[in-house]
Amino acid sequence: MNWPLVAFFFLAGVTLYSAYRVVVDETITHAALYLAIAFVGVAGFYALLGADFLAFVQVLVYAGAVMTVLLFTIMLSDIREVRGLKLPLFRRLTSPRWGAVPAALAAGLAALLLAAFAGSALLAGPEGRPVGLGELARALLTTYLVPFEVASVLLLAAMVGAIVLSKGEGER
Amino acid sequence: MPEAGVPVGYFFAVSTLLFSLGVFGALRRTNPVAILMSIELMLNAVNINFVAFSRHLGAADPVRGPMFAIFVITVAAAEVSLGLAIVLALLRRRRSADVNEFDALKG
Repeated sequence: MNWPLVAFFFLAGVTLYSAYRVVVDETITHAALYLAIAFVGVAGFYALLGADFLAFVQVLVYAGAVMTVLLFTIMLSDIREVRGLKLPLFRRLTSPRWGAVPAALAAGLAALLLAAFAGSALLAGPEGRPVGLGELARALLTTYLVPFEVASVLLLAAMVGAIVLSKGEGER
Repeated sequence: MPEAGVPVGYFFAVSTLLFSLGVFGALRRTNPVAILMSIELMLNAVNINFVAFSRHLGAADPVRGPMFAIFVITVAAAEVSLGLAIVLALLRRRRSADVNEFDALKG
């Protein structure tokens, strides 16, 4: 029995179903919780690919930090305000304005990309290997030092910007 | 086939479907928080592709793919915090959560 393959199909099913619920679920809180499941599923894909550190970061940053911020935003705001459309699912999927055009675009994109991947010679290249945390850390502080520092400044700027934006008018 | 036992094409198929679902959600939703969540789905799909390509084709430089993924995660974290702050500010000012009503920048 090919257990990685079994794990892959299990993860694929869970992740894709959760992603589907994220984009169609009426209740925004449910969509956010399904998004957390999808993030954990993607972390499973990283683990299957041998990228253990990325799987760890995925759970820490996405399933931890991003989900916390998302849920706090949803719960801090008036729930009725962020609920969005109230049409039933079938009507939304079939209505020309809200469902059919995005669905056709997304399906066309998926078909195009899948056809391109299926026909590509890229799949026959030489294989890489899993990268350890030490190697990643060394590269981050040597080859990728400048992007690393720029990213830290970006995060600082984003933090300051988020604080300024989410403060009320009269509280400056 | 790698020792993991999963053909690399399967990862591309899953990430393609994940990305398409994200596109569908970003186009269909009118709630800014839901649009942000769809964008996160798309970024995750891209990251799966980076790692899968690096794992299966990156014999020359196996660090590059995961490094790209790390920077994408960093930028996505910054993006989500700023996006949600903007959403909170909009909700406070407009009392509405429909992106079709946010047209102050319309030319």
